[in-house]
Amino acid sequence: MAGFVALVAGRALSKRLVAWIGVGSVAASMVVTLLVAAGYFAHRPPNGVYSQTLWTWIRIGDFAPVIGLHLDALSLVMIVVVTVVAFLIHLFSSTHMENEEGYGRFFAYMNLFVSSMLILVLADNLLLLYLGWEGVGLCSYLLIGFWYRIPANGHAAMKAFIITRVGDAAMAVGLFLIFWSLGTLDISQISQRAPQQWPAGCGLAVAAAALLLGGAVGKSAQLPLQTWLPDAMAGPSPVSALIHAATMVTAGVYLIARMNALFALAPVVQGVIVVIGAATMLLAAFSALAQHDIKRVLAYSTISQIGYMFMALGIGAWGAAILHFASHAFFKALLFLAAGVVIQRLGDEHDMFRMGGLRKQLPLVFWTFLAGALSLSAALPILTAGSYSKDTILTLLHAVPGGKTALAAGLLGVIVTSIYTFRMVFLTFFGPAKMQAERTNRLPESIPLVLLALVAAFGGVAGLAGQNANWPGLVQFVQGGSSVAPAAGEAAISHVALGAIAASWLGLAIAAALYLRRRPAPAGETESALHRLLAAGWGFDALYDRLFVRPWLWIARVNRSDIVDSFYEAIGQATVALHGMMSGSQTGRTRQYATGVALGTILFIALMVLLRFWHS
Amino acid sequence: MTLEQIRALLPLIILVGAAVAIMLGLAVRRNHAFTVAVAVGSLAAAILSLALGPTVATPITPLLRLDGFSVFFSGLILAASLFVAVLSHGYWNRRRTVISEEFYILLLLAAAGSVTLTMAVHFASFFLGLEILSGSLYAMIAYERDRQAAVEAGIKYLVLAGGSSAVLLFGMALVYARTGTLDMAAAAAKLAGALDVLTLAGVAMILVGIGFKLALAPFHLWAADVYEGAPAPTAAYAATVSKGAIFALLVRLAAAMDIQSNPPFQATLAAAAVITMFAGNLLALRQSNLKRLLAYSSIAHMGYLLVAFLAAGTLGRTAVGFYLAAYIITTLGVFAVMIVLSGTERDADRLEDYIGLSRAHPLLAAVFAGMLLSLAGLPLTAGFVGKFYLLAAGVGAHLWVLVAALVISSTISLFYYLRFIAAAYAQPAAPPALPAAVAMPRLARLAIAVLVILLLWLGVYPAAVIRAIQEAVAIGR
Repeated sequence: MAGFVALVAGRALSKRLVAWIGVGSVAASMVVTLLVAAGYFAHRPPNGVYSQTLWTWIRIGDFAPVIGLHLDALSLVMIVVVTVVAFLIHLFSSTHMENEEGYGRFFAYMNLFVSSMLILVLADNLLLLYLGWEGVGLCSYLLIGFWYRIPANGHAAMKAFIITRVGDAAMAVGLFLIFWSLGTLDISQISQRAPQQWPAGCGLAVAAAALLLGGAVGKSAQLPLQTWLPDAMAGPSPVSALIHAATMVTAGVYLIARMNALFALAPVVQGVIVVIGAATMLLAAFSALAQHDIKRVLAYSTISQIGYMFMALGIGAWGAAILHFASHAFFKALLFLAAGVVIQRLGDEHDMFRMGGLRKQLPLVFWTFLAGALSLSAALPILTAGSYSKDTILTLLHAVPGGKTALAAGLLGVIVTSIYTFRMVFLTFFGPAKMQAERTNRLPESIPLVLLALVAAFGGVAGLAGQNANWPGLVQFVQGGSSVAPAAGEAAISHVALGAIAASWLGLAIAAALYLRRRPAPAGETESALHRLLAAGWGFDALYDRLFVRPWLWIARVNRSDIVDSFYEAIGQATVALHGMMSGSQTGRTRQYATGVALGTILFIALMVLLRFWHS
Repeated sequence: MTLEQIRALLPLIILVGAAVAIMLGLAVRRNHAFTVAVAVGSLAAAILSLALGPTVATPITPLLRLDGFSVFFSGLILAASLFVAVLSHGYWNRRRTVISEEFYILLLLAAAGSVTLTMAVHFASFFLGLEILSGSLYAMIAYERDRQAAVEAGIKYLVLAGGSSAVLLFGMALVYARTGTLDMAAAAAKLAGALDVLTLAGVAMILVGIGFKLALAPFHLWAADVYEGAPAPTAAYAATVSKGAIFALLVRLAAAMDIQSNPPFQATLAAAAVITMFAGNLLALRQSNLKRLLAYSSIAHMGYLLVAFLAAGTLGRTAVGFYLAAYIITTLGVFAVMIVLSGTERDADRLEDYIGLSRAHPLLAAVFAGMLLSLAGLPLTAGFVGKFYLLAAGVGAHLWVLVAALVISSTISLFYYLRFIAAAYAQPAAPPALPAAVAMPRLARLAIAVLVILLLWLGVYPAAVIRAIQEAVAIGR
């Protein structure tokens, strides 16, 4: 059953030149996934897990990496979200990317991405997961640099690749450590063996968890490896929606959720996760305040929202993190797609300060964008998907001992989120019209927008209304009856949630006061130092440039005639010299060859006889 | 002879019968396509008869024995012969200057000799099989008798192989003089590990004879000249079938006589393995003739195989079996590309012939690159899994020096494989030396496609094959 999903995904990979096959394969993949989900509910396995071993790659001693799939509630939620969002985005792209050069290439990469993502999510061992992990990284690189003729895009792609590589390296070391210590890479076996072999908080567990966290931080663009994501916006909007908002960047969240047994053994690392999440969330939210480019606002917003997920992960509430992942996937994909339409209709204009009044010109986009914005800011209680999931996280933070600081940070984050969200809405859609938008409505673009908007706007209420005896809510479904997961119904109406809503409205009011009436001057005129700092993403890029890139370039310059290289060159030269000597023996004369054979025979026999006397 | 034994002997009967049939047919009328059909059909029938043959180990006279071990290696050899026969069809079609039909008689006889080698449990059948194989190979190498290089290569091989056969025979005589039997197992039982100097020299001389055929250093000098002179299908045959058969025999002989656990043999063969790996790879380093390169690379690969051979045990033998299968598939793949690119005058064996291949034949270039990468042992190809097993076997037996030599020398090998791949994907500066539009025969295309599928299958999903090999070599004792 689950094997079929992979088969479909694999097919998506091979037939890639024709664009509609690109969409069709993802659609088929989605249908199969939904059938799988239906099957899962119809016949729920006793331990909640279906696993399908496809084959063993090679078997050497203890090392027997299995190519197998693992379907449980967690991966089920992931694949449903991934395939549904991916399908809608593919559908959207089928017309959105129509006039682009390399249409086939685009879909090829996108399909490859979806299949890699499914491999990542369904993998039952860390090696296969790592394969998918690198696969999505590669696709991300290829798609950021999709418009490869512009050098800046190539640069952004390289940056994304290199920075996530730092995390990947940490993760690879983590994998080695786990295999070395536990003797397996199978996820369920690790989850079983780790608590038996490692006492809670022991050094190995902390090291392993910290290294995996390194990988997750890189992929999910958290502090200190977050700088690549805003630049990744150089890719086409559907790419930003799919990869850099909905799916790939949350792979880190998935990894930690999947390895929760391991992280539970390392409370120190969990604390670090909360701090990283909170810090990233606030820094990115403030940065989002100062951006001019609508997509960069969304990028910082993504970083910030993933920060919330990390906070939830850090307190062990990974069910809530996955809930937020799911709702975030829908509303952020929606925002990116809507922003993509705006940008395209205005003739590739990214600067929000040059937009305005689009409410009348692009009504459909406005209403859908508004739905996404309300969901993101969590302004409407219960109703929207975003508020449902975010309030769940905040309530859980409140419930954890010592979570007050984190909760305060979370509430502050809500205010800021609300400010930048509505700043974006007001600047783009309200006020006087500054540019004329091309008014066209294309059905394959509108359908995904409306569907995503419906999910974003009513996901929360649907999640609450759908709760009954059989369906205890997504959080419990994913995490099981864990102690840190209170009923989601309480979460939505608790006083914490009320506080969050108040915070959100406060933010909205501030944004309205600042941006609805009075239009601040466009870029470059009255920028304070603080503004510049925020706009530059807290100067992390400059810092890294000073700290790593420049010294490296300096070393490269000094060491131009490489010291290490000369060693290898010497090896190369020695090899070539040996080759020359050996070639001398190839004279082509039979009599010399015969002499060689004869001498060799004598040598052989002599050596053996000598060795025999030596040994006896 | 019982019916069961005749059933077990059926592959050999089919091959020899087909050879005779072709010979008689040629007296009536020459027809290339028909001859190929008979040859391919008989090879397929022989494979089928192996598959449907006795499932228990069957001794056939004191000379031969059909068991899981010989079934596996015979199957490998017959399948490789089949590929060579298919590829030869298009090759000889383009060389109108030579009458081509007799080539298949030789090929079938060589296959019969090789199958005999895999079944041999007796020194007499060993020698007979080897000479049937070598005798056919001499003629196959010098088959284009108008071409001086081919004749020269044939004579070189004849002289040197004749000498080595004499050494081999002398060694057998020495063993016989001591034990009074030519049965491998019986001779081993009589010796019971205690070797006097004369018998030791005898076994050493047998190993020299085998080492010559495998082109182990220091007996490797002939290989490159012979491959270069021989027509491409013959070179492919010599590199795959003949080496595979002789290695199979070596494994069986070693298992019977416990060669790996005898310190003098072990140390000498280990030294030979190290020298072979380095000699092969160093000689190949700046080689710009693909046939010579493959000759050197096959020398190196035989050296790698010795590592697993010396590791012995089930893991070692499994590694040998798997690596041989991977090596044969991959080498055939490279030769297949060379054969379809070869023109009417000469073989496509120069580096220049491959420059810009990706433009003229993108698919063929991809196959070529894939096969070379497999020879170099890169992941997702059969060569990687094979090499992984060799290393695992070596590490398991604590053969650290050999393992280190394997790793270092195969790093060197990357250079020359990549050189050809780079050429295939380079921009052609001048118009290609060979006509760009080579009409590819449909059969050859099919053969290449099957080879690619096998390559990837063994690279991605080797488990089933490995299980089969494990069973085969377990029965081999």
